[in-house]
Amino acid sequence: MDKFFVSVSPHITAKHTTKSIMLEVCIALIPAVIAAIFFFGFYSIFIIAISIASTVFGEYIFNVIRKKEHTIKDCSAVVTGLLLGLNLPVTVPFYVPIVGGLFAILVVKMLFGGIGRNFANPAITGRIFLVLAWAGVMTKFVPPIDWTKGFDEGFKFFSCILNGGGSEIEAVTSATPLGIIKGALSSNVNGLLSGENISLLDMFLGRTGGTIGETSALALLIGGLYLGIRKIIDWKIPVVYVATVALFALIFGGVEYILPSILGGGLLLGAIFMATDYATNPNTPIGTIIFAFGCGFITVSIRFFGGYPEGVSFAILLMNVVTPLIDKYIKPPAFGFVKPVKVKKSKEGNL
Amino acid sequence: MRFTFRRGIHPEGRKHISSGIPLTDFPTPAQVYISLSQHIGAPAEPTVAVGDKVMAGTLIGKANGFVSANIFSSVSGTVKALMMRPTALGTKANHIEIENDGQYTKELLKPLEIINKESVIARVKEAGIVGMGGATFPTHVKLMPKNPVDTLLINAAECEPYITCDYRLCLEKAKEVVRGTELLMIALGVERAYIGIEDNKPDAIAALKDASTDNIGIIPLVTKYPQGAEKQLIYSILRRKVPVGGLPADIGVVVDNAHTAYAVYDAVDNNTPLYRRAMTVSGLAATPGNFWINTGVTYKEVFEKQEGLSDTAKVISGGPMMGFAQANLLPSVTKGTSSLLFLKESEFNEEPITPCINCARCANACPMRLMPMFIDQAALQDDIEELEKLNIMSCIECGSCSYSCPANRPLVMSIKRAKNLLRKQGGKK
Repeated sequence: MDKFFVSVSPHITAKHTTKSIMLEVCIALIPAVIAAIFFFGFYSIFIIAISIASTVFGEYIFNVIRKKEHTIKDCSAVVTGLLLGLNLPVTVPFYVPIVGGLFAILVVKMLFGGIGRNFANPAITGRIFLVLAWAGVMTKFVPPIDWTKGFDEGFKFFSCILNGGGSEIEAVTSATPLGIIKGALSSNVNGLLSGENISLLDMFLGRTGGTIGETSALALLIGGLYLGIRKIIDWKIPVVYVATVALFALIFGGVEYILPSILGGGLLLGAIFMATDYATNPNTPIGTIIFAFGCGFITVSIRFFGGYPEGVSFAILLMNVVTPLIDKYIKPPAFGFVKPVKVKKSKEGNL
Repeated sequence: MRFTFRRGIHPEGRKHISSGIPLTDFPTPAQVYISLSQHIGAPAEPTVAVGDKVMAGTLIGKANGFVSANIFSSVSGTVKALMMRPTALGTKANHIEIENDGQYTKELLKPLEIINKESVIARVKEAGIVGMGGATFPTHVKLMPKNPVDTLLINAAECEPYITCDYRLCLEKAKEVVRGTELLMIALGVERAYIGIEDNKPDAIAALKDASTDNIGIIPLVTKYPQGAEKQLIYSILRRKVPVGGLPADIGVVVDNAHTAYAVYDAVDNNTPLYRRAMTVSGLAATPGNFWINTGVTYKEVFEKQEGLSDTAKVISGGPMMGFAQANLLPSVTKGTSSLLFLKESEFNEEPITPCINCARCANACPMRLMPMFIDQAALQDDIEELEKLNIMSCIECGSCSYSCPANRPLVMSIKRAKNLLRKQGGKK
C-alpha cells in the first residue's frame, strides 16, 4: 500500500500514439500498394521492400553509431520507405531505392534531429535527390503490364534489377499524361487532350505510365478518405492543394486541363500523403491553407512553365522550407484576445 | 443553437461507474483532520485550542483577510491537536484534529432576519462558502464584483470524466440548487441566471427544469471537455469572451458551481455552515458511490472502504483531467474535493514520452487557442520572451493538449513550470 503512481494532470490520454498514427498511414497506403502490384507487377513490391528495409536499417544504424535510444519502433521510417518506394518508376535498378532510402533517412531526417525535426519530407527529398542523381532512370516510365498475356508478365520488370533494363524496356517507354499535357501546352493545337491521347478513366484507375504508386487515383483517394475519416491528416491540405491546382490549370490552360492535371502525375500521392507530413507543414489552420495553396501554385507553375513535366515534389519541398516562416507569422490570437486600443491624441489637447 | 465552444476534446466519460448510485452519508471515522487551508487565499486562523469541546458547525478557523474563508468543525467532539499535515495539492497546511464523539450535535448559524443583497453576502462569507467545483475561490469575493454584473451562470456542466456528484446533487436536490441560485441572484442583484449542464445528464436537466423559475434558464450544453471551464462556459451560453487577463465580471458575468449554490441554500435557509459536501468515489479499483462526506475525513479512511485495494495503482483527488495524483493517503477531504478516484493501472496513461512530431493535435484541442507545442519548446529553453508572446498566462491548464498528444508529452507540466518561472520573473521586475 501507499505506493501509487504520481504524475501531473491529466492522468488519461487519447489512445493514439506516434506508432499507431504511422501504422494508420501504412494501412491507408495498402490500396496504392495493391494497385502498384496490379499495374506494374511483382517487381514493384520488391522495390518497396528494399526501400523500407534501407530506411529502417538507416535509422537503426544511425542510432547505433550515435549511441542513441532506438527509434525504429515508432514505424515512421517504414512510412518514409513505403512512400519513397511508391515514388519510384518500376524500372529502377535495386540500388536506387537503397541510396534514396538512406539519403532520406540519414540526411533529411536523422541529421536534423530525427522524427518531428526534419525540415522537409524525407520521402520527397529522397525522390528529388534520385531525380537529380539518376535523371534518366527516374524519368523513364513504362506502360502498365498486360495480365492477359499470362501470369509471367507479373515478373517482367525483374529484368531491370541490375541495370534498369535493356533495350526491350527502352522500346516500350511511353509518354505519361503529364508529358502529354506539356506537349499540348507547347504546341498550341486544340484537341490534343482529347480522349484518344489521354483517357481520364485510365488515369483514374491507374492504367497509365508513372511511378508505381502515383498512377491510381482511385487507390490514393480510398487511402485519403480513410486518413481523413480517422482524422490522421488535416483534410484541408489535400483539398486546398488539389483545388488550387485545378484553379491554376483552368487559368493557365483551360477547362480541359483541369482533370488531367488532378489525376496525372504525383499530385494525389503528394497532396494526400506527403504534403500532410506533420513535421513539415504549418501548425495553424490558416497556415496550412497558405501552405497548401503555395504547393498548388508552384506545382502548376513548374508543370506548365518549368523545365520538368512534374512539379509536385519541388512544390512540396519549397513549401516545407517556408513552413517555419509561416508558423512564425501566422499565430492565432488567444481566446478572448483584445486588440490593444491605441489612444488617439486629440489635436486640441486635453480640454 | 448548440451551446458549446470551439476546439476541446471528447474523453471517455466513464460516469456510468458511479452515476446510478444515489447520495448516501459516508460514515465519519473517530478522528477527523480539518485543514485550515481549504480555499484559495490566506489560511484561516485557528479559533480553538487543544481540549476545547466543539459541535458540528462550530467555527474552528476564522477567515484571515478578505480573500479567505471561515472553517467549521464537521463533527462534535474534542479538539485533540493542531498540526501540519500534507494536503491533496502536495503542500502542507495547518490541520485541526478533532476526536469525534459520534453525537453529531449541531451548532447552527443565527437565522437571517431579512433576506436581501447585504444579508446574503454576509451569510455566504460567514458560512465559509467557497467555489466547490475544485478551484475553492471564496464566494463572497465573487459576489462583490467591481464591474456591474447582469447575469449569473451556475456551472453544473461536470465535464470531467468519472465525477458524478454534481449530477446526483442536481437530480436529487434540484429545488435546493435552484433556491441557492435565486439567493445568489439576490446577492448579485441580477435578473437573469442560467444553469449550464452537459446534455449527457437528461434526467438531471429535467429535474432542474421542473424546479426552475421563469428567470432561471436551464441550458443543456454539448458534452465536450472542458465545457465546465469558466471562460468556455460563458462563451457556450452567452457567446461572450472573457478578455485575456480579465475576469468574468469584466463582461458582466459571475459563475458559481451548482454545489456552491446548494451550499448557499443550506447556509441561508437551514443556517448550516459549509462543512460537508457531496463527493464521488469512482475508478475501477473503487467501490463506487456518491457520498455526503464530512470535511476532515482522511483519504485513508475512504480508501479502506474500497474492495480490491491491491489493484489501486493511482489515487486522484479531483477529476482525471485536472485532479492531483496522491503519493500517500494522508490528506483529508476539503470543501473542494469533488471526487476521489482509485484507478487500476489499465485506466490511466503511463506511456513513455517520445519526441514531438508536430502533428498540431494539441493546438487543435486547446480551448484557449494557444500553441502548446511551441510553448513546450520555449518552456524547455526557459525563453521568457517567447513564452509571453505565446500567451502562456492564458492557459487554463485543462489538459486537453496533453490528452491529445500522441507522443505523450507532458505539455501541462511544462506549462505549469513555465508559468511559475514567469511569475517569479514578474516579481523581480
